[in-house]
Amino acid sequence: MTQHLTEKEVRSIAEYARIGLTDEEVSSMTVDLNNIIESLKPITEYNLEGVEPTFHPIGGLVNVSHEDVVKEGFSQETALQNAPKQQEGSFLIPSILGGGDQ
Amino acid sequence: MALSDMSVKQIQAGLINKEFSAAEVAKQSLARISAADKSVHAFLEVTEEAALKAAENVDAALAAGTFSKLGPLAGVPVAFKDNMNMTGTHTTCSSHMLENYVSPYTATCVDRILQAGGIPLGKLNMDEFAFGSSTETSAFGRTYNPWDLERVPGGSSGGSAAAVAAGLATVTLGSDTGGSIRQPGSFCGVVAVKPTYGVVSRYGVVAFGSSLDQVGPFARSVEDAALAMNALAGHDEKDCTSQPVSADFTANLAEGVSGMRIGVVPSFMEAEGLDAEVREKVEEAIEHLKKLGAEIVEVELPNAQAAMSAYYVLGPCEAFSNLARFDSVRYGYCPEGFKDLGSQCEAARAGGFGLEARRRIMLGSYLLSSGVYDKYYYPAQQVRTLITQDYVNAYEKVGCIIAPVSPRTAFKFGEIADPTSMYLSDMFTISINIAGNGGMSFPVGLGAQSGLPVGVQLISPAFKDENMFKVAAALETVYGAAPVAPAFSDGKAGE
Repeated sequence: MTQHLTEKEVRSIAEYARIGLTDEEVSSMTVDLNNIIESLKPITEYNLEGVEPTFHPIGGLVNVSHEDVVKEGFSQETALQNAPKQQEGSFLIPSILGGGDQ
Repeated sequence: MALSDMSVKQIQAGLINKEFSAAEVAKQSLARISAADKSVHAFLEVTEEAALKAAENVDAALAAGTFSKLGPLAGVPVAFKDNMNMTGTHTTCSSHMLENYVSPYTATCVDRILQAGGIPLGKLNMDEFAFGSSTETSAFGRTYNPWDLERVPGGSSGGSAAAVAAGLATVTLGSDTGGSIRQPGSFCGVVAVKPTYGVVSRYGVVAFGSSLDQVGPFARSVEDAALAMNALAGHDEKDCTSQPVSADFTANLAEGVSGMRIGVVPSFMEAEGLDAEVREKVEEAIEHLKKLGAEIVEVELPNAQAAMSAYYVLGPCEAFSNLARFDSVRYGYCPEGFKDLGSQCEAARAGGFGLEARRRIMLGSYLLSSGVYDKYYYPAQQVRTLITQDYVNAYEKVGCIIAPVSPRTAFKFGEIADPTSMYLSDMFTISINIAGNGGMSFPVGLGAQSGLPVGVQLISPAFKDENMFKVAAALETVYGAAPVAPAFSDGKAGE
């Protein structure tokens, strides 16, 4: 079977998709993904010259705007009710620029 | 007759004739879940307070003589797949990622069932984030098929199908991205409807594949499913894909199929992997439709064979985008002790998502990457055009298509361990999501070898869902409405 992805590539996909994987998980994920990608082969063998893509089953969708009227929405408290961490009415996150000690 | 075996109309007649009150319906249903769901495990959460409150409203209307002004599901026990938000309930998607999430709002589909007078019993188990065909990927344990507790109920809406099959609810809702309503409907022997894409709003339903997802009902009769559709269908300003549908799905149920042209797809009936007992039941249903006066016409769907690979490109790509929202910040699982956001997010997604969810996210990420996109994603969207055109061509000749739902009956737990083999469960259902048509599973009795339920799939042209309801109603005159599974009928608790 064609090797579509190496373990190194699987690691970089995991990094991009922000999914931490252990070394063991990287090996089994590499096997699984290669099998699945192999099963997608028919899509690469179709003669699709001149065929327009359909990105959505309902054609001709347009953006819908509503009147600029103030409606009741979530309160700040409700919007934060599921936040793992919060502080002074905001979502609390660790440093995004590394370090985190400043 | 036990309440748990009753149809919508039978329950409502009982209420009107004062044989029982809505409060009794709610209390009996809750007691039944306590007793019988020990063996099925369809429910992840039971909403006792909401059920009793809804029943109170129905009883008040009965006392005031305004019962007829309530909606089509007034006094009827209902339950929802756990990817549907309902204020104050956990909406976990059967994932550790959302284990502690409490919905701050209600999905439109749930709201419409509640507005229609339904008595909400709770939230139902599913494959994690709807990735699966057996409900085995739930982070909160398996659901057992009421027809054989050693077997899966199908998936991803396994809890929704099993609850109806065990008489734990009269109507439930599920969602279907590649077969997730119809396949468990077939495995559990109940009526299971995936409406045309755009008929039911998805607002408040946790998204999987946004160009494929659709919400629909499970019930034990065609009329019950049609009544639920009447409550569900129609435009919602919160989902711009929802269309102004005003059909009365019960209107033509008694019309019959005399003179109707119904399509059969030879390549489906001869497909490799289709079990003989399933083929026999589909052929038998076709013979019955002929006897009822339908004209059976062969139609070809030459590109449907590419639907599987197109789906396993499009589904994971859309899932990858949709599941990017789980970032450990606004909601969802968040591990302790990380000093930077990137590591916290990686650990949250590693610990929160199960194996199949991680596989699909990884696959979607790969397929959308530069260079790979042109090889898989773009061609898959071109294939979608061909498949859609195949159906359009077929529907020039026929008003409905009949096909298998699943290539086989319910399998045992752990029997299908390899992901690519599991994906074949949806070989007959996927092309309908790709094209956006309506499809439903109607139960036609038990397979000759397995003795387990078999469903036939009825497939409608887009926004002509009433066609498949008419054919299902005609089949119901032969097969009868779906029974509660024997170990659970007559109020039995399956022990």
